Amino acid sequence: MAPQTPVLDQFLVSIAELVKNRDGTKLQDYLQIEPPLSDIYLRMVEELRLRYKPGPQSDTELQQRCEVLVPHTKGGSPWSAFPTFMRLYFSFLRDVNVENLLETYKLLRALLNQCVLALGDSSHGVIVLPTVLYLSKVMAKLAMGLDRRPELIAHILRMEGGPKQEDSMEKVTLVEQSANVVREAFIKCLTDRSGNPASLGKPEGKRVGIYLMANLCLKLLFQCGKLRNAEQMFASISAQSPPLMHFPASQRVTYLYYLGRYLFSNNLFHPARIALQAAYDQCHRQALSQRTLILTYLIPCNIIMGRFPSQTLLQRPEGQPLAEHFVPLCQLIIRGDYLAFRRHLSFDSPTSRWFGKNGILLTLRNRCEILVWRSFCRKVFIHGGFHGKADSPTPPHLYLQKVLFATKWLQSRSEHLVPNGTSHSSVKPQYGSQTISEPIDREYAGLENPQSVNSSDGDNQLMGKYGDYLAPLGFFDASGQFIKNMPGKLVDAFVKPDYDEYELDPYADESIVQEQPAILMGEIESILSSLITQGLMRGYLTHQTPRLAITGARQRGALPTGFPNVWETIFKRESEDNSVPGWVKPKATMGAPAVGGGRVLHMTGAPPVGMQ
Amino acid sequence: MSNSTSQDKVNAEQPPQQQKPQVLEEDDEFEDFPVEDWSQEEAEQSTANGGNEHLWEESWDDDDAAEDFSKQLK
Repeated sequence: MAPQTPVLDQFLVSIAELVKNRDGTKLQDYLQIEPPLSDIYLRMVEELRLRYKPGPQSDTELQQRCEVLVPHTKGGSPWSAFPTFMRLYFSFLRDVNVENLLETYKLLRALLNQCVLALGDSSHGVIVLPTVLYLSKVMAKLAMGLDRRPELIAHILRMEGGPKQEDSMEKVTLVEQSANVVREAFIKCLTDRSGNPASLGKPEGKRVGIYLMANLCLKLLFQCGKLRNAEQMFASISAQSPPLMHFPASQRVTYLYYLGRYLFSNNLFHPARIALQAAYDQCHRQALSQRTLILTYLIPCNIIMGRFPSQTLLQRPEGQPLAEHFVPLCQLIIRGDYLAFRRHLSFDSPTSRWFGKNGILLTLRNRCEILVWRSFCRKVFIHGGFHGKADSPTPPHLYLQKVLFATKWLQSRSEHLVPNGTSHSSVKPQYGSQTISEPIDREYAGLENPQSVNSSDGDNQLMGKYGDYLAPLGFFDASGQFIKNMPGKLVDAFVKPDYDEYELDPYADESIVQEQPAILMGEIESILSSLITQGLMRGYLTHQTPRLAITGARQRGALPTGFPNVWETIFKRESEDNSVPGWVKPKATMGAPAVGGGRVLHMTGAPPVGMQ
Repeated sequence: MSNSTSQDKVNAEQPPQQQKPQVLEEDDEFEDFPVEDWSQEEAEQSTANGGNEHLWEESWDDDDAAEDFSKQLK
């Protein structure tokens, strides 16, 4: 006689009841998978192991028991995905071995996949929405954990041998795979057609899960660095989602945080700032770790746009951990020493590590240096420029020769600071750019000093470089016969000491090195042109006698006219368009004044929606 | 170095009864909020001057402390 299964029987009765009552929250509560499982679940697992041993026969029997869980309404199509999901749930409980985390992950992903299929049902799908969310969270946690600590499954991969390559490839993308499953669930929520049309107002049915699933998917995509995959999600949300304001605060804040980070990584700093500021403003004041993370990206947006965090902000509990990173950065921008700025954010500097870890290093490096140059030019103008006189028609101006001297002074001072020249930023190149230092590629390291080729330490180096010419595999003799050459044997029997004439080094011409000042001046002119083009400086440049002239300075004075406030300048330009792609705002209602697509709406008092 | 420190942190945060290995969140992850919804009042900082605090410095230009520069440019 087959073993009795009293706990399982009772469990199935309860599940059928919950499905009948469409109680999704309680259903999720029943479908526990994470250890430690309570005693009653352990007893059910025992029953499953005794009565339904793994195999096709018991699969069929278990499936049959699950078929009755689904209500059979007249005319309606049965919800066939759900019984299969329940069977997978039981086999998961029966078979899972948390010692093998890779196998656990695979079972879990299969279970979630089936649950997402069940979610797709137009009339019953919504019942499993909380379960989809729960399973997604457990899977995300597992995938991200394994991604951070691959050593936890390394021994399994080693033991499996055989398709090792494939498995280790898979391991790398566990997080991305998870994101793909979660995105399926997100799409099912977004495209739900039940109830009111999506764009009109409060979400109904599966649409209440849009941002829950989107946020989880974004978390995974950020973790695996596949931000591009998020683009389609934001586009779908913009096209089909109900307004964000109708969702609960936790979902709004989380979504605006990820949206802001996404926009930041696409160099859209103004919309990123709006999204992150809204996330900060709406975040619960006691949620310190979240507030700190929001500020980690909100502050760079503001710095890049010319606004620095105040002491008040950095003294708030959530701001305190950030002060040590952002205060020195802001001070460097104010100081105007581009070499010190580069040293601070160079790859090998301890001060850059935190920025790198948070994914803001390159953006800050690339976007803030222009502000450093502005501060620098401003200081040179204060101390070395002509500020204009009341009775003189000559406008305020600055000879760029002074900027050149000051730049050289910065360079020479930097060499003092880094005596061995270990930092790339302090090495003055002998050719090429005088102000831009590229990290040296080992392949091109020889170009650093073109003379080094001549001062070679012997034939070996020459052979290494010109071997294919000096000792080819063979050659044609005077009669046109091909003669094979002994490996390494010199065809002309001797090595000339100097092969400079054969060099294809564009920098080998020493006259270029002589022209350093001209190159530096050219670069300074180019930097100032860029500052003027961006509106960060006002005036015009003359080239013949390199000079910056500041016009229209009579009213406000030379300094404020020539060097306008950075934040005001950038903000004025950017706020011509305040729309935030991916942030769905309510549509303007009839009769009410039209809300411009991009207006930031305050969500105070917006009634939230709850989960079903 | 930093790796082992962060792992220690993860271990420390781990409740002892947890059976799963230590694969939980790192400290730099945007954590789930413990509550689902809250009012805007609960989000705002209680400030002395009614929330209009000065959070951003828009004027930060340095007009004096550059003696080094001036010497060089004479």
